[in-house]
Amino acid sequence: MNWMAKQRFGVSAATAPREPAHKPGPATAVAAAPPANHRTSNGLKEFLWLINDVRNGRILDLGQVSQATLTFFIEKGYRISTEDFLRSWKEFLTAEEERLRLAPVGDEGDKISQARLAEMFLEGSLHYPEESFHGVLAWDLFDYFDAELLPRVMERLYSLLHPAGALLAMFHSRPAERFHRYRIVNPQTIELLPAPTLAVHARVFQNREILDLFGKFRSSKTFVGRDQLREALFLK
Amino acid sequence: MWPKVPEGKESPQSSPVPVQAPMNAGVGSLASVVAPVVMNPASLPSQIPQSSAISAGLRIRGEITGHSDLLIDGQVQGSIRLANSKVTVGPHGSVQADIEAREIVIEGKIRGNLNASENIRLGPKSDVQGSMLTPRVAIEDGARLRGKVEMLRPGEAKRGAAAGQSKTSVISTPIAALKE
Repeated sequence: MNWMAKQRFGVSAATAPREPAHKPGPATAVAAAPPANHRTSNGLKEFLWLINDVRNGRILDLGQVSQATLTFFIEKGYRISTEDFLRSWKEFLTAEEERLRLAPVGDEGDKISQARLAEMFLEGSLHYPEESFHGVLAWDLFDYFDAELLPRVMERLYSLLHPAGALLAMFHSRPAERFHRYRIVNPQTIELLPAPTLAVHARVFQNREILDLFGKFRSSKTFVGRDQLREALFLK
Repeated sequence: MWPKVPEGKESPQSSPVPVQAPMNAGVGSLASVVAPVVMNPASLPSQIPQSSAISAGLRIRGEITGHSDLLIDGQVQGSIRLANSKVTVGPHGSVQADIEAREIVIEGKIRGNLNASENIRLGPKSDVQGSMLTPRVAIEDGARLRGKVEMLRPGEAKRGAAAGQSKTSVISTPIAALKE
C-alpha cells in the first residue's frame, strides 16, 4: 500500500480508467436513477485503491455493523473488525450520568472533567494491538465528538493504523439535519441510512481545522460532495 | 475490545468452570438444567434429545457439551461446545461464554467468541462482544457487534472440528500475527 508510489506513476484512483462493472446493453441502456440515499464516494474509491495491494488486510469499521459492508470486505479477502464507537460513547456517558446521579452529594466523583471522561472511555475502547489495521472507516464520527475526546481518538486511531494505512472520514459542511448510518453499496457508492439520533452534531470543521487535527498523518486528500459532505482520506 | 488470547491458550471463559451452587441458589447443575424440551420417556435411553433449553430465569455456570440443539433464554457463564448442533441465544438470553457449534443464532446478548462450522446469524436486537469465525454470516440491521469477523472455508472448519481442536484459540489471534 503506497499512495505516493502509486501517484509517482501518474495514476490515481480518481483518474485511472476503470472498466464499468456492468457494460450497458440495449436492455439496460436507460439506467434507473440511483436511490436518493445513495451517494457516489470518491473517498471510498480512493480508500479501496490504497489498500488494494494488501494481502489479508485488516479493516476497522467504527460505524454500525452492516451485513453489506461486512460482505463487501470479506469477499475481497479482508478481515474486518467492527466497533459501533459512537453508540459506545453515548452508552458510556449515559452510565456516567447515572452514576453521578446516584452518587452522594459532595462525592469527589461528581467532579470528573470532560478530559477525564474521554480518557476513561478510551480505557475501555479501541483496544487493539498497535498497527493492527490497514484501513479505518471512521465515517462522520468526528463531527459528534467533543473537543476532549476528538484528539484522543485521533491519536488512538493513528497508533492502530499500519504504516501506510488509510483512514476515511467524513465531515459535514453544515450541521447535519439528521443522523445517518453508512454502509457500502459498491466500490464507489455508499448508502446513507437515516437512524435515530445517537448524538448531537457537535461542530462543523473548517478545512484547516481538519488538516491540523490530522497533522500527524503523512498526507491527506479531501473530496467535496454536492450534499455538503466532505470526505477526507488520510494516509499514515 | 474483547481481549485477545494468545494462540494455544484457553481464554478464561473457555476453561471449564465447575458448577458451584445448589439449585436453591438459582444456579443448577448442568444435568438438571439443560433438560430436553421434548422427551419421550419410553425412548429416552436410546435417543439423543433433539432440543434443549435454558429458560428465562435460569442462570448456570459451567461447560456445556453434547449433541443437542440448545436454546438459551436465561443466563450462561462458561463455555458451550456443541459442535454438531445449533445454539440459539434468545432475546432474553445473556451469555458470557465462548460458543462452538454448527450453527449459531444470536437474538440476545453475548460476551464471548463465536465459532460456527456452518453459519452465524445476528438478529436485529442482538448485542455481541467478541470475535466471530464462520464460513457464513448474516447480520440484520440493528445488530450490534464489537469484535472481529473472520470467514473460513467450510472445509477449514471441518478439519478443525475433526481434529477435536478448540476453535477459540483460532479466533483469538495473537498480537504477533496481527503485526505481520
